[in-house]
Amino acid sequence: MTGISEARLRTVLAWAVVLLTAGPVGVAVVLGIAFGESPCILCWAQRVSMVLMALAGLFVLRYGPRPRYLGTVVLLGAWGSFMAIRHSALHLARDVGQGFAASFFGAHTYVWSWVIHFVVLVTLAVLLILLREDSVERGTRELGRTGRFALGLFMVVVGANAVQAFVSTGPPPFMGQGDPIRFSWNPRNWVWMFRGELRGAVTLRGAWDIPKPDPAHVEADADPANGPLADLSSLAVQAWERVSVPLDGRLTDLARDPATGRFLAVTDRHGVYVLDASLSKVEHRVRLDPMFSVDIQAPSGAAFLGDTLVVGTINKSYLLIRPDPAADEGFEWRHFLETSGGMSELRRSRFATVRARLMYVSSLAHDRAAHEMVTVSVPSPRQRRMVVSTFDAGDFVLASEFLPRLGPGLALGEKRTLAEYVVTGAVVEDGLLYAMSAAYSTLLVLDLAAKTVVEAYAVPSLDQPVGIASRDGELLIAQADGRIAVVTRPGTAPAAAGEAEGAAVADTASAPAASPGA
Amino acid sequence: MEFLNFLIILFVAWLIWRRPEKERLAFRLMVASCVLMALMFLIATHGSLLPGLNL
Repeated sequence: MTGISEARLRTVLAWAVVLLTAGPVGVAVVLGIAFGESPCILCWAQRVSMVLMALAGLFVLRYGPRPRYLGTVVLLGAWGSFMAIRHSALHLARDVGQGFAASFFGAHTYVWSWVIHFVVLVTLAVLLILLREDSVERGTRELGRTGRFALGLFMVVVGANAVQAFVSTGPPPFMGQGDPIRFSWNPRNWVWMFRGELRGAVTLRGAWDIPKPDPAHVEADADPANGPLADLSSLAVQAWERVSVPLDGRLTDLARDPATGRFLAVTDRHGVYVLDASLSKVEHRVRLDPMFSVDIQAPSGAAFLGDTLVVGTINKSYLLIRPDPAADEGFEWRHFLETSGGMSELRRSRFATVRARLMYVSSLAHDRAAHEMVTVSVPSPRQRRMVVSTFDAGDFVLASEFLPRLGPGLALGEKRTLAEYVVTGAVVEDGLLYAMSAAYSTLLVLDLAAKTVVEAYAVPSLDQPVGIASRDGELLIAQADGRIAVVTRPGTAPAAAGEAEGAAVADTASAPAASPGA
Repeated sequence: MEFLNFLIILFVAWLIWRRPEKERLAFRLMVASCVLMALMFLIATHGSLLPGLNL
């Protein structure tokens, strides 16, 4: 019969224990004691996991390949892999060279931890596949020379680890630290901590637990009088218009092309419509296929970029689509669930943000003068701030981000913040960003150059505003039901806004976030 | 707590070496050590148990 006997298995296993003990665990403790390299609390847990896998190997050397010992190694390998991935997630996505603590052969210890747990699992699997079942004995085994060497080395290395752990982390109930300090034999330098992080709620996703906004429905007080900005002037609705063609889904944004007068409407069912200037005729229509590529969640923003249509989604993905008489419908089948024809998709990708990271958006605008796209973040219980992000309209890479300040003449109520507004529609004209908030039904006017809210208006009698477009001297505020309120566009000159920049301004766009996760 | 865990592991290794007949005790202590290690990791990450990535 082919395969290896139990005796051979135990020899191989003894050397595996030696490798694991003298390799990652032994090198780590030598680096710690001799060179001061201290592990963080997550590193400690992964190091203990490797030690326990070696210990399970010693059990097999002494008592044979019993299922509970082999199962323990599998469990430790799986748990250790999870720990390494959880640990690596803190650092992997950062910029080049921005890892954490020591690295070896081009990779940091948390990455090596995953590699080691993976290799142990693979090694165990190979040994089990090769093991001849008829060679398995019963009872306690003699360790043999290699086994005794493995066990002796193991005890020396674990003893050294105990010494390092005592110095670095202290006796119970003290435990490891998130940002450890270098090893020292001098007790005056020892820092033993009982982790304050024991306080706080247990959560699965922590800072990533961000509720998805519904771009067609904002659960918020719509009364401007209850908003954070007090005593606002009202903008009267001059007239009501409506999108008079049936849309698939609820309207989530509306944009207007100043060159042709056409409109772009998007819906929460991934519908994209090019409408004529009277909003009564569909010139082009597609329903996006949101699957099989970049995550395309609910569309929440629409803008014209010359002939190109830009559709933004709540998760800051975007699509570029263009009316194209030569569009190959066979080719476009992969992009659209439905199409009226004559439409091509050019690109689907994602906006990357820094200040607005871990925040959704519900608006998109094109600043023609600056040739930039603009989004405004939607606040969440964990991210209570308003972030305006601009992206170069050529490569769609982040150009700037800011938390708008408040200009003179505007006052926040006590303990109120601009982040209470939920901007669901945005349009840029003459360097001013008109941002419509469904919460408190308020129109904010931001000077993009001064990064300041220069005016704000109550717009009463709106019901779920989702988008805003500009038409000559008017603003068209679109609601989810397709009705459009026409108001006069407030005409603040940028020069006046510039004066606000020099005036006393307050950082009012943010509020203390809810407790972040570890 | 890491110190305590290494002491437990050291004791288990000694049992395997010098008191092999105490197999059950040794195994139970190893399980306890595994649980202690997992608990400490969970304490350190309880604010976000899953990786902070797009899952």
